[in-house]
Amino acid sequence: MRTVAAIGLLLLAASVAPARAHHGWSGYDATKELTLTGTIAEAGYEHPHGHVRLDVPGKVWLVVLAPPTRMESRGLPAAKLRVGTKATVVGYPHRSNAEEMRAERITIDGATVELR
Amino acid sequence: MTQTGAIGWTGWLEATAAATAMRQSLWLYPIVEILHIIGFVILVGSAAMFDLRLLGLSRQLPVTGMERHLLPWARASLLLIVPTGGLMFIAHAAEFAGNPAFRLKLFLLGLAGLNAAVFHLRPFRQVAGWDHGASAPLPARLAACLSLALWTGVIACGRLLAYF
Repeated sequence: MRTVAAIGLLLLAASVAPARAHHGWSGYDATKELTLTGTIAEAGYEHPHGHVRLDVPGKVWLVVLAPPTRMESRGLPAAKLRVGTKATVVGYPHRSNAEEMRAERITIDGATVELR
Repeated sequence: MTQTGAIGWTGWLEATAAATAMRQSLWLYPIVEILHIIGFVILVGSAAMFDLRLLGLSRQLPVTGMERHLLPWARASLLLIVPTGGLMFIAHAAEFAGNPAFRLKLFLLGLAGLNAAVFHLRPFRQVAGWDHGASAPLPARLAACLSLALWTGVIACGRLLAYF
């Protein structure tokens, strides 16, 4: 009973809370694949997930990437996420935050890195 | 609390050297996560095994003997859990402070602690009468059920806070 009540409370609390950083893939709509090409306006090589702000014509997207450890091991060290660099990301838009997307892969200087 | 105040204390925590290291050091965050998990496995594992004994399983084992074995481990595990939890919190303090799953987790954690304290101050005082081979009294069994449910809720919220 207590667990049922707790889950109920959690769902209730979640439904009234403002959109925040969401880490699971379930927060993103995988049916709407996006391909964005733009300039990196800001880069964060941080836990639990890295990010870039990607300046594409008409909009600045918050692109959620992978944990730094994974990016490092797949050949995307912090030095490659430079502000001013051109990048292409393929990913999915957030279900409630219109400026946020999560990238499945990122291409910088012709090299594509899988992020999932 | 004003909005500025809220940004103030969480922002200050996020700017500390420890918080910055948590976000930027390559392996610190996962190591801290692993230690946090090892800690709460010991804590919740101890609580769950004790609760099952109170609910009538393995009645041949004395309740006092189990308590003497499990409680020191549960207490010691806090030395792993609390500092590592604190480090993960300060890394993204503003986000966690406003996260509904995190708030519910702290609330359930408080209830779980209160439940354990009440158990020790009330039914456990008379444990001599039901130490082994007998059913624990209803208040003790209720505390055990509550404990199992609360810790399940705490773990669920801990995992789900990454999804809200």
